[in-house]
Order: sequence, then C-alpha cells, then structure tokens
Amino acid sequence: MIKRKGLKSAALAIAAFSLIAGACGGSDSTVTEETVTEETTAETTAALPGEGILACQVTDTGGVDDKGFNQISYKGMQDAEATLGVTIDLLESASDADYAPNLQNFADKGCNIIVTVGFLLGDATKAAAEANPDKNYAIVDSAFDPPIANARGLVFSTDQPSFMAGYLAAGMTKTGVVGTFGGINIPPVSIFMDGFAKGVAYYNAQKGTKVKVLGWDTEKKDGTFAGNFNSLDDGKNIAKSQADEGADIIFPVAGPVGLGSAQFAKESGGKVKIIGVDVDMSISNPDAAEVYIASVLKNIDAAVLAAITDTVNGVKTSDNYVGTLANGGVGVAYTAVPAELQAEVEAIGAGIADGTIKI
Amino acid sequence: MKLELRGITKRFPGVVANDSVNLSIATGEVLALVGENGAGKSTLMNVLYGLYKADEGEILIDGASKKFNSPADAIASGIGMVHQHFMLVPVFSVAENVVLGSEPTRRLGALDIEQARKMVRDVSDRYNLNLDPDAIVEDLPVGVRQRVEIVKVLLRDAKIVVFDEPTAVLTPSEILEFFEIVRTLIRSGKGVVFITHKLKEALTIADRINVLRRGKVVGDADPKTASEAQIAEMMVGRPVQLTVDKKPADPKQVVLSVKDLSLIDPDGRTVVDQVSFEVRAGEIVGIAGVQGNGQTELVEALSGLRNANSGVVEIDGKDVTKASPRERHSLGMGHVPEDRQRQGLITGMSITENLVLTRYHDNEFCNGMKMRWSDASKKAKELVANYDIRTSDPDQLASTLSGGNQQKVIVARELSRKIGLVLAAQPTRGIDVGSIEYIHEQIVKERDAGTAVLIVSTELDEVMALSDRLLVMYRGKIVADLDPKKISHMDVGLYMAGSRPESAVGSHR
Amino acid sequence: MTDLLKSLRYTLLALLASLLVGAVIIVVTDIDALKVGDYGKAFTTVLTAYRSLFEGSFWGLRSISNTITGTTPLLLSGLAVSVAFKAGLFNIGATGQMLAGGMTALWVGFTMSGPGWLQVPLAVLAGAIGGAIFGGIAGVLKARTGAHEVITTIMLNSIASFLVLWLLKTTLFQREGRPDPISKLIADEAHLPRLFGFLEGRSDLVAHSGFFVALLATYGYWYLLKRTTLGFELRATGLNSDAAKYAGMKSKTLMVVAMLLAGGFAGMAGATEVLGTYGYASTSLAGNIGFDAIAVALLGQSSPIGTLVSALLFGALQAGGRSMQANTDVPVDLIIVLRALIVMFVAAPLLVKAMFRVKSQFSAQGQTFRGWGG
Repeated sequence: MIKRKGLKSAALAIAAFSLIAGACGGSDSTVTEETVTEETTAETTAALPGEGILACQVTDTGGVDDKGFNQISYKGMQDAEATLGVTIDLLESASDADYAPNLQNFADKGCNIIVTVGFLLGDATKAAAEANPDKNYAIVDSAFDPPIANARGLVFSTDQPSFMAGYLAAGMTKTGVVGTFGGINIPPVSIFMDGFAKGVAYYNAQKGTKVKVLGWDTEKKDGTFAGNFNSLDDGKNIAKSQADEGADIIFPVAGPVGLGSAQFAKESGGKVKIIGVDVDMSISNPDAAEVYIASVLKNIDAAVLAAITDTVNGVKTSDNYVGTLANGGVGVAYTAVPAELQAEVEAIGAGIADGTIKI
Repeated sequence: MKLELRGITKRFPGVVANDSVNLSIATGEVLALVGENGAGKSTLMNVLYGLYKADEGEILIDGASKKFNSPADAIASGIGMVHQHFMLVPVFSVAENVVLGSEPTRRLGALDIEQARKMVRDVSDRYNLNLDPDAIVEDLPVGVRQRVEIVKVLLRDAKIVVFDEPTAVLTPSEILEFFEIVRTLIRSGKGVVFITHKLKEALTIADRINVLRRGKVVGDADPKTASEAQIAEMMVGRPVQLTVDKKPADPKQVVLSVKDLSLIDPDGRTVVDQVSFEVRAGEIVGIAGVQGNGQTELVEALSGLRNANSGVVEIDGKDVTKASPRERHSLGMGHVPEDRQRQGLITGMSITENLVLTRYHDNEFCNGMKMRWSDASKKAKELVANYDIRTSDPDQLASTLSGGNQQKVIVARELSRKIGLVLAAQPTRGIDVGSIEYIHEQIVKERDAGTAVLIVSTELDEVMALSDRLLVMYRGKIVADLDPKKISHMDVGLYMAGSRPESAVGSHR
Repeated sequence: MTDLLKSLRYTLLALLASLLVGAVIIVVTDIDALKVGDYGKAFTTVLTAYRSLFEGSFWGLRSISNTITGTTPLLLSGLAVSVAFKAGLFNIGATGQMLAGGMTALWVGFTMSGPGWLQVPLAVLAGAIGGAIFGGIAGVLKARTGAHEVITTIMLNSIASFLVLWLLKTTLFQREGRPDPISKLIADEAHLPRLFGFLEGRSDLVAHSGFFVALLATYGYWYLLKRTTLGFELRATGLNSDAAKYAGMKSKTLMVVAMLLAGGFAGMAGATEVLGTYGYASTSLAGNIGFDAIAVALLGQSSPIGTLVSALLFGALQAGGRSMQANTDVPVDLIIVLRALIVMFVAAPLLVKAMFRVKSQFSAQGQTFRGWGG
C-alpha cells in the first residue's frame, strides 16, 4: 500500500519543527488525525484489470503536495489504483538533478508506465524512454518531437474552455471590462489568456457589444504577467489595478498568484468576480468560494488515468493524449452563471467540440 | 561589610591562574589590585563575581562562607562589578540601560520608564554622577558611559564595587573625575576594588595595594610609603627602568615636514587646523594632548589613511600628501597605529602573518604573486627572538598573545623594516610595565640609529619621558613647541587644557 | 592537520546528532506504526531509511556516481560563497552567477563545433567568465557606492533568472519546436566527458568530469589563500578591513576581485551543470544550489578542505536521499531537514558538545562570519 507521501512530508516538517523548538505535544496528535482521515486509498480487490501493473510518477521540484499539476496528476494515479487495481508508486524530485536518477530508480523497479510531470522533465524522460523501450512513458504538459515509440505527451487544448470562459465573462460583465493575467509568459500559460480574449471577441462579434479585455493582446501575443507563480501579493495588486481600470471579472492564470486575486475579490465585497483555473476553485479554495463564477478545467487526472488505462490494456503508443472538450480532458465548471448564459456557453462548447466553431 | 578571599586557586589547562590567593576588603576603603597583564587579576575577580568556580579556597562575607554559582549570587551578597568592556545597549537611553534586566513595571508588565528615570536621577544626585536619564548611550563619551555602569551596580545595592581596569579607556580629565566618584563612593560607605596596572593611579587612589604576579599575591604595599619603582619591581619580579634612559638627541636633516595641514571631518568640523611642524632624523618629537583634540586624525593623514583637505605633507622632501599608505611605506615610513586590535593586528591571523602584514609584497617574501612563507617564517622567528615576543610558536594566532606582546609584534614589524621615519600613536596604551619599558628602549634605539620619530600619546608621562621636542595639540592646533627637559608636568597640563602657564618658556603659536 | 581533524570531528558529530534527531522524526511521522503501537516497524523503517541513505550515496558504482554528480555544483558554488566569506563579503548571489555562467557556457556549447579537447575547456572558461562578470557587478556596486552585497546579490539573482527566462525564449537560445523556455542542446563535442564512459552499457552512471573541474578549482582556491599575496590580502580584508587598509591593501579593489572570483567559481558550477549534467539549460538550472552553497560554505568554515568535505556530504545526502525515498516511505524532504539540522548543530557547537560531552576547549576559534558587518 502506498501512502500519500505529500501529506507525510508536511507532517514531517511540522514534527521536525516541534522537535527542534522543543514544542512536542498537541501539534503531533492533530497531524496524526489529519493524515489518518486522508489515508483512504482503496484496497485492491481481485479481478480488476490492472492487477500486477506498476504505475509510477516522478514529480518535478514542486513536489506532490503542490496544489498544482503534480498533485492533480497524482490524483489520476490514485484513481487508477482505485478503478483499475494497479499498484502505484511515487518519487518526488528535490532538484532538477533528481529527475534522471529518479527515472532510473523506477526503471530498475520494473514500473510498467512512468508518468512525469512538467516540461522540465522532458529531456530526462526522453533519455529514459529511449533507454527502456519496454516501458511506457507519459509526460504531463509536454510532448515529444520527434515522437518516441514508447513515450507520449499529455497535453491540453486549454484554449477551448478558456474561449468559453471569455464568452461567459463577456456575457456577465456589468462594466464592459474584463481582465486576465498570467504567471510567466510561457505557452502553457498564455494559451489560456489567448483563448479567453478570443472568447470575449467572439461574444462581441455575436452580440455587437464592445467588451474590453485587459491583460492580453491577441495581436502582439503579450500581456500582463506576475513574473512568478507564488506571490499572492502580486495577484492582489494586479487584480486591483485591473479593477481600477474597470474590470469586474478577472481570469488569473498563475497558480497561487490567483489566490491573491481571489482574496482581493473577496475584499471588494462582490464588485469583482474571478474565474478559476485548472480545477474548480470554488471547491479547492473554500476560503473565497463566493468570488468564483466559474472555473476553466484542465483535467490532468483524467489524462493520467487514460494513459494508465492504455498501458493496462496493452496499448503502446507515441500518440499524444490531447485533452479537449470532446474527450473531457478540458472543460468548464459553472459556479454562479445565469441559466440562459450557461446554456449559450455550453452550446459554444459543443460547437468547438464538433468543429463548427474555430478558435 | 567585610569580604575575604581565602586560599583561592583556579587552574586552567596548562596554567594556574590563581595560586592560593588571600585577599580582604572592607567597606570604606579602596584596595588596588595591581599586576601585569596575565597575572591573574581578572580571573580572581571573575571567581569573586561567580563567573568562574574556584578549584580550591573559599569566599567569606562577614566571616560566613559563601558559595557563588553565578553573578546573581554575587550581586545578592552585595558585590558589584564594572567591567572593562561596558555591557550597555548603545541605542537605549541611560534609564533604559540601567533598569535592563530588572525593569520596574506597571500593571500588565508595561515598563515604568518614569520610575526608571527617577531611580537614575536619585542615584546620580546622591553620588554626584551628573547623568541625564534620557540621554542615548551611544551619544555619550566613554567616561559618562562608565558612570552608567556604576549606576547599574549601585542600584543593585552593591556594598563592594569592583572596577576592572576602569581607567584604560578614559582620558586624563575623565580619570580625575573617576577618582572623585570613587571618593564619593567611599564616603557613602562602599568598598572599592580597583584593578589596574597603572601604578601612579593605584598610588593616588588606593588605601592599600596588593600586587599579583603569576597568580600569586607577591606583596602588599602602603601607598603612603611605597614608591612606583618598588611596586613595579614586585609586579615584574626584577628592577624596572621607569624613566627612559637616553642620550641627548643629535637631529640631522628634516625627514617629515608638515605644512598648514587641515582636516575636516564628515560633519564639517575642522579637526586639524593649519598644523605645521617638522621631524628630523635622529630626534623624537612628541605630540601631547587630551584625547580627541585631533591627534588621531593627524596621524591618519600622515600615514595616508585619510585625505588632507589642505596643506602639504613631505617625506624626505617628496610631496606625499596624496600618496597611499603603501607608497608611504615604500618611502620608509613605519607606523605603529593607535588601536592595535582594530588597525595594527589581524588577531585571526598567525603571528608570522602579522609580522609581515605591511611587507608581504616585498621581494624578500614573494616572487610576484607567489608568497614564500618559508622566508616569512624565518623572518618571524628572528623577530620573535629579537623583540622578545613571548610565544611558543609564531604560527599561533595573534589573539593568543597578551596585549603587551601584541604591541611588540607591531613594533617589531614596523621598526625592523628599512625606515627613516616612525609614526607611533599610543605605543604603550594598555600594556604592562615590562613591555612598556622594552618598547621605549626600542624607540630610543631607533632614534639613535638616525630615524625620525613622531610619538603621539595621551599619556603625558610617556611623551615627556621619550620626546626630545614636545608639541601640544589643543582643538586641532599645535599650541606649544616645548623642550620637555625645561618644563613641568603641570605646565604641559595647562597647555593641554587650552590655557597658557604664567611661567611659560619655549615658543608659542 | 590537527585543525582539519578537529573541524571534521565536529562536522561528523553534527551529522550523527542530526541523524539521531532525524530518526526521531521518522518515527514520529510514521503514523501507521505509531497508531497500532508497532514500534518494531518504526525501528525497521529508520534502519532501512538510513541503510538506503548510505547505500544510495556510497555503495556501488551508481551511488558513487550520483554522489559525485550532486557534489560537483555544490562544491563549485560552495567555493563561490567561501571565497567571498574569506574576504568578508556575504555572497547570496551564487544562484545568479551560476545562471550567468551556465548561459555563457551553453552558448559556447551549442554555437561552436570544434574538437572536444578545445570546446569543453573553452565552454567551462566561458562559464567562469560569465559568472565572474555577474559576480563582479555586485563587487563594483559595493566598492563604488557602498551598496550592501547581500541586497545587490539577491536582486541580481532575480535579474539573472528573468534574463535567463527571456533568453530562453529568444530564437538564439530556444530549442526549435519547443514552446517552453528550454534551450538548444549543446553539441556532442561540448559535453564534459562522463567519468565512467569507458564502461559499456552503463548509461546510468551520469557522473562527469566536471568533478575534476571542481577539485581543480578547490586546489586553486587553496593555493590562492595559502600561497599568494592576493589570497593573503583577501583574508586580511575579510578578518579586519581596517588593518588591511592600514597595511596598504586596496580594499575596494579586493572587494571587486573577491566577487569576480566568487562569480567565476559559481559560473563554473553553472557551466558543469549545463555541459555535464543536463546538456541544455532551463530556468531551474541553478535550482537551490546557490542557497545550499551557503550552507556548504558555512559548514566548511570557508576553508578549501572544509568546503570540499561538506559539499561531498551534501552531495551524498542528495544521492542517498533519492534512494531512501525509493526504498522507503520516508519522503525526500527528510534530507532537507537533515541538512538543516547539520548546519544548525555546527552553528551551535555548544549543543553538540553538551550532547556528546566533548571535553577540551571548543572556543570560538573557528571562522566567524562577518559578512553582515560588510
């Protein structure tokens, strides 16, 4: 049985601190309970198809408890454990130098499929895949060019749900101004912003409105970026300056930076609303659940599960998994959207899925 | 109250710092504890203060044996200590510093600063200390800071106050004020232990003198009858030359010439004001003056550590006003700096390294960038022997040396170079009698060899004894050019204080 | 030699002490075992964890290779912090200097296509120069304006990381066909030769000859400090800048020189990572190495041999930590805790002394850091 190592490392940090501070006692027991309640890994039962398959994940330096793609990927691993009956294992990387040795360790361990997370592991994954042609490799948020027979990328057409979110925002704004910003100007981030801005433009074209987008210029492919993925203060400040320019709906594509924007929205007392990113943030960020009107979903867990399912079924492919609206790899979660508008947005989603609407 | 130490022995690895020491002190008297550096004075007082535990012996208070495990026990028994290095928080006010550690509080633990102020005022008035409770400690002169320490001790109800080298950091006038304070303390029924190596001071203030040598009490002296020379002999263990024995000077050509030198400090104050003088080969020129009258800055400018604002400095006729320290060194300037710990030595380096600190770049010790440490070691061994530096191994850190031996390292380094000029600032500050004697001998020897010597010292005795010509500095100006053989201490003291004696001889400016 | 033994002894005791505390942490966090009162299992976990920690760092060729790979950049960047410490400067900027050196080495690595014996040294040299220039900026700023190097090097770290991000998106550096900020691969000839390249079919032995670069640099650092006038001047300035000025040393020039040297060492760390470990550059090229380097220098008391020993120790912990993670449920984060504990125990020798009842004087005769005093 494999544990949630991430939680354990949190417990470890607390324990280390309390040992050193000489403050053992209460804190340990709370840690105990938390961890125990989270230990809900399903017991394998006989007759599941994945019996005997070992699925392994190597995180990037964010670790498995990053509240980001490592963690969501690991959820896909756990789903595979529960539904397919595979055995799962995990190695966290403390630095870039850990990637290759971690992959080596898993190859030695006889993993059938090894999932790596993030483009930083791209070169190490490529080398490992070429050295171990009998194993399957999958990498989240990256792809191989030229393709490798036993390795595939798990990528997402996040412009599709972002387009829907842009339309949605344009339909809901009262001020006629909406905003977006990113963490760092790299394609996995800017693709969201671009889709969002195009969705707004589409709404304007359809309805003859003039909703303005702050923070992204479709022509120049440039916009507002926090410059990092961790400063809540930056998220707050950018949201504030966009609100000062009139934006009442903001779409931050910047991981935890966006939590700062949500904080700002909460303090604005309902004047500013936020569209969440990656996961349904009205659930994952309960402290400010009321500020979210919707979230753009990037279902990494579904992609990971799909990749493992292929391995369980004996499929070896170099074809990338592309998460789309059509296969459920991306989507939109609605939190507080009027019913008619939601129906319109859904219709646009269907149009994108069947190709009648081009982004 | 009567305090007695009986048979105190304290051993450290390899040394017996105190060897069955007996000592007693009662309230109403001043006991001076004298001895060379390393004689065991501080160890003894740390035993008394509960910082060290004696290996043998006992401490009695009014005949009852006491055990001091920490300074708190000593304080509780009425013993107070004013350390040589003050333990004050520079950014706090006097009142805050005084109550630090036993703050008077109001409800909820709020600091009662009003109460603290009152406490400082009361004590200050009672003992004539003249302290402003609201002054910030870092703004105060050293002498006043010392009074803050004294208030701290008095507020903790000390009956016997121990001063560890209290005058080492004080100016001559502050020393006089300090003696007044000691007398006030005695009148108020306190007892005072005065640790020093300055015999003159011990003779001035003490009722009794105990002499310590190599951890043992080697004698008592009565200040009314004993002479400085007698006590010095007890301290060192051999007769000591207290006056400098030298032939009349034979001045030759001008080596150092200073013309209209002025220095302005960053605050815009003129600290050295139009100073002009010359030092000739084969003579010792002394500059006397109370600390803080521009001598420090003058020496810095002469050595190249500070830029002159106007005026000209020449060495051997060459204009060196803008030359770097290294250029001046290469012209034959040696410099014994005022503060040996801060400037003269790198205590974290070995004795050998310190001995070549100002000459490592000579071809004697390096080929281009490559150091030849074997040659440096050879030189160091030679200097250690020639200059009587007491160490078992020149590769040990300079911090392992006593103050006197550290100073000998500097003197050895500077005098052993090829020099025609020596600047020596406070060459014997804070060091023991034996080392002072030795360093004075070396300076005179250097003069006789034809070197020009400039001595700057706040110790009037020292400049009077060493100098062939005596300049007095007051508020940045040279106010007198005197013949030390023809003027009294008293009159020089008057010049130093800015006035002009009636019976003035010599020329004035 | 006795000094070496003495400093080693305290490092080893600190290691032992932190392993003890680490064991307690492993037990305390092994919730399952504690809950059912299975202390035997907890004990076994500790044993297994430490055994794989050791085996993963020193047992067998692959472990040694991993330890060497981890040690190389830690040693070079540790020297970068040490040489600055010696001169009384606190170099927090090894990260930025590594990035700068990594990028210049990378540039030589993919633009040139000469024979390896020429291209590899040239690329390493380019890395040293790139890092030196970057480190030198902080030195010049301090000498000219008095700007504190702690502030400037931290700022320069940010500047470097954004500069790298930007560069990696320019067509000059970005790998063709990649949307993300990742560089072109260096030419095959520019790779630092693998140490175990002579063994057929052992592609898992990743250690490269950057280790020799690091060892050579360590020797160079030792030679500088002990055998040159410049080293004497740097040490003098670091221990007592007033005395150094008095002795006629040019403290401002020395500041700049110290930071140039520091940057040069860190730049070589970046270069060996690019040319040996990765073969390309990414934004996370420097990782935490620049900061771990501070701990390495601290632990090694800035001495050449001490820095070497502590870099080896940290490199071994890094390699062993991975195998510990793979073989037990103990997360790799324990390594970070262990490293922090070691540094803490070294910084608090009295604690170690009390724990192990070490007799003899252990006064503050070690190097103390005066960096903040600047």
